[in-house]
Amino acid sequence: MATIKYSPEGNLCGGPKPTPTPAKVPVELHVCMGLNACKGHDRLGTNNCAGTGNCATAERHNCQTLNNCKGQGGCGLYGDIEAQSNPGNNECAWQGSCAVPIQAERFRTLGTERGKSVWLQARKLFEERMKKANRNVGPSPYKCGPPQALLVRWLDGYDSCGNSGDKSCSFGFNNPEDNAKRLCEGKRE
Amino acid sequence: MADVKMSFGLSVELKKYPLNFPILNFLYQNLILNLSDKPYYIMTQDFFAKGADPVTPDNLGEAIQQAIEIEIATIPTYLYTYYSINRSPDQEAIKTSIIEKLVAKGRPPIEAEEEAIDLSAELMVFANKAGALIMSVAIEEMLHMALSSNLKQALAGMPDLVGKSPVFPATLAGHQPPFPINLAKLSQDQLITFLKIESPTDLPDPRMLKTINYTTIGKFYQMIIDCIQKNDLKYMDGPQLIEGKAFYAQNNIDTVYYDKKHRPHFTNMDDSGDLCHVHDKASAIKAIKCIVDQGEGFDDEGLIQPGDRVNCTALVPGDFDDPEKKELSHFEKFVQIYCTYNSLNDRFKNLDIGVTDMYDYFVVNVADNPKIEHYPANVVPVANLLNAVYTYIFVMIEDCYRQSGNTQWEIFMFGIHKSMIFILNSICGDIMSLKYTYEGKEYVVAPTFNDYKFDGKSRPKAQMIELFNKAVAVFPKIQYLGQRIHDLPDVPNVSSTNSF
Repeated sequence: MATIKYSPEGNLCGGPKPTPTPAKVPVELHVCMGLNACKGHDRLGTNNCAGTGNCATAERHNCQTLNNCKGQGGCGLYGDIEAQSNPGNNECAWQGSCAVPIQAERFRTLGTERGKSVWLQARKLFEERMKKANRNVGPSPYKCGPPQALLVRWLDGYDSCGNSGDKSCSFGFNNPEDNAKRLCEGKRE
Repeated sequence: MADVKMSFGLSVELKKYPLNFPILNFLYQNLILNLSDKPYYIMTQDFFAKGADPVTPDNLGEAIQQAIEIEIATIPTYLYTYYSINRSPDQEAIKTSIIEKLVAKGRPPIEAEEEAIDLSAELMVFANKAGALIMSVAIEEMLHMALSSNLKQALAGMPDLVGKSPVFPATLAGHQPPFPINLAKLSQDQLITFLKIESPTDLPDPRMLKTINYTTIGKFYQMIIDCIQKNDLKYMDGPQLIEGKAFYAQNNIDTVYYDKKHRPHFTNMDDSGDLCHVHDKASAIKAIKCIVDQGEGFDDEGLIQPGDRVNCTALVPGDFDDPEKKELSHFEKFVQIYCTYNSLNDRFKNLDIGVTDMYDYFVVNVADNPKIEHYPANVVPVANLLNAVYTYIFVMIEDCYRQSGNTQWEIFMFGIHKSMIFILNSICGDIMSLKYTYEGKEYVVAPTFNDYKFDGKSRPKAQMIELFNKAVAVFPKIQYLGQRIHDLPDVPNVSSTNSF
């Protein structure tokens, strides 16, 4: 049974010292499919071009305040409008407002863009950054980000936190694919 | 007998009485907490109890502290009922059950399936909507607690938040007529209690025998507004929780529900209210108006009628709390749940298939006002941890009124948000996977929302970690929370309440 030992220094900046790990070539940490700036910088390390990566390199997590560091938080389901407008652009640890990776079905809950896709916003910010860096961007493996069902298969189960239920399920009166298509087209879900 | 002296002079005396008629007159002159066949507790109080004194500069701080404690009392009340709702029940199981019952009644299978799909979908939407609406109110109550704390900080000094959660069954301090507030699962009776809490009009009570303290929360706050408007008060410059720092968000995924087409609906609006830095008369009144408008609506005519009947007529402008008329007031949100239940439950009843209360499909069987001492030994450590996390949230909020700048920001964002959204929510979910038997009946374990009494021997966080270690030893399912508890800010407990 794992228990934790209280450390008087263990507050925000401190906590237990990290366990030393073997040095390895670092990659850029980003929060989802299609958001990699460099070749080989996705979870599998096999992508060939900016924007074509398969999945996040940032550590997977499922809720607000659980991201490790700068640029490693998702967004959309919690947090204020500023946070919800900047998926993958948080300034520091624990400032992300939602889970990583960002499933295609996730929508924003505040502001004028309420109900619209989080992943598309992340991709927009990424493309703006690449344009500024004079880099061409390849297509994302999935045009509107990874569907939740795909992440469940890849990651052996996945969901972002929250109690409002399945983000894509049908009650018998809708086609989940139609909803996904609307979100993908930039419409409100 | 416990006698607790609160910091603002309210003397609270808890006495245990058997129920009998000769003391009824006495009960009506005090606060009746629970009319049942069991012993119950009566809270007698001096504050505002004699002659409905208006709020004056002399007692303004005490009045605002009373307001803070009114807001605090609503939070566990709403959260408990919220957690009793399974927001995503098994539609397939519900549908199959309805089909079987309809076919047994002679309905053709195809027709039965069509009816079952529609009814189960309606029920799925309702369960999720009820949860979203109650959560949308709960987060606004947290906003109200912060707004009233800002008021106190500006006008009287430090707000007292730790150790102020009520013992259930409880009452709203000073409300006349008194009515019992229980930690209870979602039901029409519990919704009536919610409507009484948020009622914009006086509660009809022919039994009321004495001068009122206040009859609606809005009127109570109006007394504070009157005092602020009439007097040239000094506004102090202490740390507050203010707007523009990402402390408050009107909506999150828990305030969202999906309709039958699985389109999301947002129960709070962006313009319905926010934190407010109280620094002068105008900002003080703005903060109070936000609290009152969100709770009761702008100018609602009130819908509770004698006999606790609710008028389910069409919405009127006063039912909304935002300028755009898109967000319902707390009162009206609860009316919506109450009345939607009635119409949907009538559909079940009209089918004559033996379903008399559709809450049975998605409301978890938790006990009324559970006590930790009712729980078995393997549950107690988890319940204690839950209460410690719950109490530590108040410790951290209170500390936000001592700290400023980045320290305040980190405590709020990394402590309070992480505790509310992730740690407390997770433990509440996990603990409800356990069951226990009390007095021959089986219940699902639920949060008791007691203030945990941190001792003075070590800091609260260290005690919470020890509680976690004990809890995870009997309930390994919560192991994933260990690092997150360790990540919390290490805030001292310097509450002015002696027992904490």
